[in-house]
Amino acid sequence: MKPMLKIDEVTRTFHDGDSEITVLNKLSLQVGAGELVAVMGPSGSGKSTFLSIAGALLTPTSGEVAIDGVSLSGMGSHELAELRLKRIGFIFQSANLIPYLKVKEQLLLVAQLAGMPSGEASKRAAALLDRMGLKQRQNYYPDKLSGGEKQRVAIARAWMNSPAVLFADEPTASLDAERGQDVVRMIAEEVKAEGKAAVMVTHDERVLPLCDRVLYLKNGALVEA
Amino acid sequence: MYLALREIRFAKTRYVMIVMIMLLISFLVLFVTGLAKGLAYANASSVKNMAASHFVLQKDSDHRFGRSQLTEEALTTARTVVGDDKATPLNLRMATVTEKGMSLKSDVTLFAIDMTGWLAPKVVEGQGIANDTQGQVLVDRKLKESGIQVGSTLIDQMTGASWTVSGFVANESYSHTPSVFMNEQDWLKLQSFTPVSGQDSSDKTYNAIALKASEDQLAQLRAKLPDSDIISKSDTVSAVPGYKEEQGSLLMMIAFLYIISAMVLAVFFFVITIQKIGQFGILKAIGAKTGYLARNVIGQVLLLSIGSLAVSLGLIRLMYEALPASMPFQLDSSTILLSCSLFIITAVLGSLLSVYKVARTDALDAIGRTAA
Ligand SMILES: Nc1ncnc2c1ncn2[C@@H]1O[C@H](COP(=O)(O)OP(=O)(O)O)[C@@H](O)[C@H]1O
Ligand SMILES: [Mg+2]
Repeated sequence: MKPMLKIDEVTRTFHDGDSEITVLNKLSLQVGAGELVAVMGPSGSGKSTFLSIAGALLTPTSGEVAIDGVSLSGMGSHELAELRLKRIGFIFQSANLIPYLKVKEQLLLVAQLAGMPSGEASKRAAALLDRMGLKQRQNYYPDKLSGGEKQRVAIARAWMNSPAVLFADEPTASLDAERGQDVVRMIAEEVKAEGKAAVMVTHDERVLPLCDRVLYLKNGALVEA
Repeated sequence: MYLALREIRFAKTRYVMIVMIMLLISFLVLFVTGLAKGLAYANASSVKNMAASHFVLQKDSDHRFGRSQLTEEALTTARTVVGDDKATPLNLRMATVTEKGMSLKSDVTLFAIDMTGWLAPKVVEGQGIANDTQGQVLVDRKLKESGIQVGSTLIDQMTGASWTVSGFVANESYSHTPSVFMNEQDWLKLQSFTPVSGQDSSDKTYNAIALKASEDQLAQLRAKLPDSDIISKSDTVSAVPGYKEEQGSLLMMIAFLYIISAMVLAVFFFVITIQKIGQFGILKAIGAKTGYLARNVIGQVLLLSIGSLAVSLGLIRLMYEALPASMPFQLDSSTILLSCSLFIITAVLGSLLSVYKVARTDALDAIGRTAA
């Protein structure tokens, strides 16, 4: 089966004054359709760097990343933005939502950016919000939502343009245990239902049973538990 | 504009306040511009009202009517070039007049013109005068405020010459003094009171010749009258005593208003943009392009500045109605258009700093951010 996300011997170094630190060292990973992978590791181990490179926000020093069979090497910033818009979904830790857009508009914005016809966008947004249990909330502003609801809106927005891969950066960090479980369960269900791949960086041990694989970032590479 | 409009909808109070500030600035810009224009007109309306395209003045007269002296031959030459009815002579001099039996003095500018020609002003009250009437003048309506009426007698302080007010004209002044119009006959009489040495007072001289001429004719005339300057009406206006100085100060004020508004708006939008850097990072991470975000920032500025301009134009209108007549205010549509476009350009320039900030925002900021 063709992997949705393929990371091949990615190395990333940063210059810190005179010295050079290698944060990622020949890291490789493949995630297939319908698979949810959790990535863990202590603070400073390089999780954010890994997610940024896999999510086309940062270019690796060497190695290659391919999303749904398309290699990112050599793409310009414009092409990368286009790819993030259409082939990648992001869920960030917090401050995910645009404060002045109502719940449904958060979804319509990304559809509009991607050029989806508005009728279709409206239908898809309604269906996604329904699945996330947010039907009653679609005309709310983010400041009127609970933490769990906000993250569910972020999930719905991430799925809006049917991306190939979803990246989540500690999506449960600001939630209590129960809400955290709900959020990850929803991610897992969508991954299965739509046949997409997902990578989630997390510190939260309680959500691990919901993931298909759990990996640890150690010495710049990913290892199985 | 999707984001721009929704942001305004969400943060109404904040944007109402921004619009208020922009409103005040644009109102001030328009108001001072209107005053400058009004003063400009009030200063030299007599020259501005003349239907002439150009004026012939003596060489080295610094474009000033009062310093120029032309002979009858110059007039004849001008008439042969542009045609009899397209060149008409004009004399003027500043004077202080008192109304007979009163002690109140007024500074005026005396004009001598052909009362049947195209320099003759329109009478708004009383009777006009002809070229053969004697001792009659038309005066600007502003003199009414000094108690002068149709039939009043004006006495020139220097010569003792006196004239009867035959009628009033509107908006006629020169160097901020009301204009008084008389025919050539009365002018010659006045001149005879103050003979110029070495000159026969019966010799006709003119301060200037007003022309309606084409470029071709001007070139011909310049060749035929080497001892004269032929200058456009607007150059003549700028040379009216005090005109340039007054307009210079006002222009300076307007220029500073534009600079201040550019800075205030730049700071305003920059502060707002800084607060939104996190959002811009998220938007870029999920695939919004810098151009899209920049368009929203500029679109918002355009919307706000056009909105506040519209309101301030309304206020200017109300203000205009309420202003006393003694406060000259003039704002024609081309000036409004120019001021408004300048204001909008200023606002957009002010927002460029924000656009730069947006362009510099890194999508990477969205990852690994702990709180917000
Ligand atoms: N832009 C950068 N410049 C220099 N060092 C960096 C930069 N980004 C990350 N690092 C370093 O890389 C290491 C890994 O950081 P990060 O990926 O944020 O780890 P984590 O998310 O696991 O806490 C840290 O030691 C950090 O100091
Ligand atoms: Mg991190």
